[in-house]
Amino acid sequence: MVVTFFHDMFHEESSYMIKTDVVIIGGGATGCGIARDLALRGVHHYLVEKGDFANGATGACHGLLHSGARYAVTDPEAARECIGENAILRRIARKCVETTGGLFVRLPGDSKRYRDTFLSNCEEAGISTEVLSATRALDLVPELNPSIEEAVVVPDCSIDPFRLCMLNAFTSRHKGGGILTHHKVIDIVRERGRCTGVKVLDRFTSQIKEIRAKIIINATGAWGDTLARMGGSDAPMTLSKGSLIISNHRLTNMVINRLRPPSDGDIIVPNEAVCLAGTTSIPVDDPDAIEVDPREVDLVATQAEQMLPRFGTTRLIRAYTGVRPLLKAEASDSRSISRGFKIIDHKNGMFSILGGKLSTYRLMAEKTVDAVVEEFGIKARCKTADIPLDGQDELSGYPLSKRLKGIDNIVCECELVDRAQVENAINSLGIQYIGDIQHRTRLGMGPCQGGFCTYRALGIMQETGRLTPDESIEILKHFLQRRFRGIRPALWGDQLREEQLVESIYLGILNMGQRA
Amino acid sequence: MSAYGYDAVVIGGGVSGIMASLTLASRGFKTALVSRGDPVCCLSTGCIDVFSHSDEPLGGIRALLPDHPYSLVGEKGIVDSLSFFLEIMGEAGLPYEGDPGRNRKILTPIGSTKNTCLVPRTMAHADMPPGEYLHVISFQGIKDFFPSYITSRHRNSTYSVYDAGVPTTLGIAARFDDASFLDAFITWLRGLEIPLDRVALPAVLGTIDPDSVMEKISRAIGRKVFEIPTLPPSVPGLRLFRALKRVMQNRGIHLYWGKGVTSVECQGRTVEAVTLATTGRAKRVQGRAFVLATGSFVSGGLFAGRDSVRETVFDLPVAAPGERKDWFNTDFFSGAHGIERAGVRVDRDFRPVGAKIDNLFACGSILAECEIMSLQCGHGLAVATGVAAAKSCAQELS
Repeated sequence: MVVTFFHDMFHEESSYMIKTDVVIIGGGATGCGIARDLALRGVHHYLVEKGDFANGATGACHGLLHSGARYAVTDPEAARECIGENAILRRIARKCVETTGGLFVRLPGDSKRYRDTFLSNCEEAGISTEVLSATRALDLVPELNPSIEEAVVVPDCSIDPFRLCMLNAFTSRHKGGGILTHHKVIDIVRERGRCTGVKVLDRFTSQIKEIRAKIIINATGAWGDTLARMGGSDAPMTLSKGSLIISNHRLTNMVINRLRPPSDGDIIVPNEAVCLAGTTSIPVDDPDAIEVDPREVDLVATQAEQMLPRFGTTRLIRAYTGVRPLLKAEASDSRSISRGFKIIDHKNGMFSILGGKLSTYRLMAEKTVDAVVEEFGIKARCKTADIPLDGQDELSGYPLSKRLKGIDNIVCECELVDRAQVENAINSLGIQYIGDIQHRTRLGMGPCQGGFCTYRALGIMQETGRLTPDESIEILKHFLQRRFRGIRPALWGDQLREEQLVESIYLGILNMGQRA
Repeated sequence: MSAYGYDAVVIGGGVSGIMASLTLASRGFKTALVSRGDPVCCLSTGCIDVFSHSDEPLGGIRALLPDHPYSLVGEKGIVDSLSFFLEIMGEAGLPYEGDPGRNRKILTPIGSTKNTCLVPRTMAHADMPPGEYLHVISFQGIKDFFPSYITSRHRNSTYSVYDAGVPTTLGIAARFDDASFLDAFITWLRGLEIPLDRVALPAVLGTIDPDSVMEKISRAIGRKVFEIPTLPPSVPGLRLFRALKRVMQNRGIHLYWGKGVTSVECQGRTVEAVTLATTGRAKRVQGRAFVLATGSFVSGGLFAGRDSVRETVFDLPVAAPGERKDWFNTDFFSGAHGIERAGVRVDRDFRPVGAKIDNLFACGSILAECEIMSLQCGHGLAVATGVAAAKSCAQELS
């Protein structure tokens, strides 16, 4: 079953002018975490997001809940924050976190001295470690490169960022907060130099709504500076693009890291039925103009292959890229910039939360809301670390047995999503966007990457009257083009075969090509 | 190991390999065909696209560059090969019609039309004059067919839904093979009180004899009836393949089905035999000449590694567009990707260029420069080059 508790979330707001105490801009982990924190402290708020949840870096990361070991040598403060949050999230977000454990593997040629520093720094940061011989490590993860020297076990976990955002937003909604996805901020209302609200464009109805608030929180990640400037201030950051690849198989049940100074392509994270490997780190200027370069794919695949040899022969289903919003620093190498975070009080009614990472989203939210309640002069303690996320009981997770129930009417064969799930998403969640169905049901997430099922899901959407047939075809075209962007950099082998089949369906059988 | 000897051995059981083997057999050569399994034509519309990119296939082909495989065949060769195909399909009991001089239209499941050249009779009436009334029949629960895509694009059109008891195209097609099911369907259809000129259905009118099914429906309601090809698995694609396979069997071609080539034996510049993977002992198939028709990437004749493209049976030299970044352009809908031109280059006799083998010929989508996706010429190219390569092979044999 899909998550049904978002039920009334997408109901249209009847009035164009909304009043609240706090407006949060950005529906990533930080923004959703802030919404939950405000809700638990009783502060009324609205969250606006231009796309679906986890639209930016949150949805384009590894899905790794760091133990902090990765930063133990280079950024001890970030390491301590990570291990603290790691323990909290395991407790409060059970249905989002898979406690896989992680390994740092040392390959021939990797420095032994680095390993010694790594172990002592982990201990200092409070990160538990256990050194394993190559044999014992291979027992745990048989697909590991058999020539590894040794491995260190750390409490890394796999985390589902999308689900995390939804559950955080659920609490907010439950307590009366407003969550508006697919609403893009087009202007920040200012009166006598002070930010007093936002104007948002409802991307589905094209209505413009105005939300008035006492405080505006800019939690837009890579878009932080743009939003701060709309409010008459600025929030300088360094943007760094990180690209990842997805394998068609779950080649490991543990997170695999390379035991060496952080570098490109040295983390592999198992997620549901696949593995994610990455990343690269390339400075960029515009977060809206990023593409994966085929050379990045080669780089990451080659590195991943050194730890898990089968990464070199398994099918890659897609590549994707996100932009890390890093704190502005003097360092030219984006890997050495702190992964820490900073809250800027622009002194004009706007606060920006900058930097940070998925693993510490809750702490970032806590500190941001601390600043906001202080501004309001309220005394309300943060409760997000103590109370488990609401709505988790309704999540069914991934069990195959549940997905096989509707086997007679499967829409997505790769991920076993049946027609009832799609119809439920359309009808009871009021979904207007194909991407939203995909996020909530896993439709189109498998090897064919929506090559077959998107056409079906759109057909169902137009049969239920959500879309006209013409709109449905337009969305299909848009989807296919966007999908191809992600697939193109990693096309070879069997995935190339699959892609040519998909091409023959849309350009051949359906004659959707441009030259025809 | 058991050994078998033939004049010609064709590797690849798609349209080009089948047409090549039929050409060789019709000239009296003892012919074998080796196939890893059912070909990708089972996933196609079943129609023969000769050059759908323009309204006049032969005219479009004339404008192609000299290194396009069609140019190597020549216009007369193309026309003759298509006539041969029509003759074969007549013999198979699945007659096709069409004219290489002028394309006709078929209807697609999203309501657009598509150019194609030769069509099975069940799609002959899809080329509708404007203004005619169309009634579309859909089936309860069918997955890839949404009739409102069609009715929204055609002014005078409506649709109804019939419950066939199964939702899949292959399942529904199997039910149409049954006379009592067909009678019940016709009774239902006659009960629909709507003014109609033509009736269109997804391509499910039986797996064995679709022409009779269509005729029976057409007579009963007094209207023209036609099929709309669906997404894979496609019933007309499957019918095409099965019909061709029947003719091969009738004409005494020895089929090694479901078995891939695992190794190749050469003596100097001559291929002597191929070994097939089989579940018991390996089979060695000897031939005096060989035709390679293993197709492109989807069929597995070509394989794209991370950096280079290779031919999978003989490891022939492959013409491929530069680095991987040049294989695909950024526009999904262009179809004109660099990789579309990858393949085995052949000379005028369809011998692979640069191969160290003399008794080998290649045909079909494994050929370089064919650009099947952007020119929309898949089956037509398979027919034309299959026949042409077989003719060269026949010359070598005699």
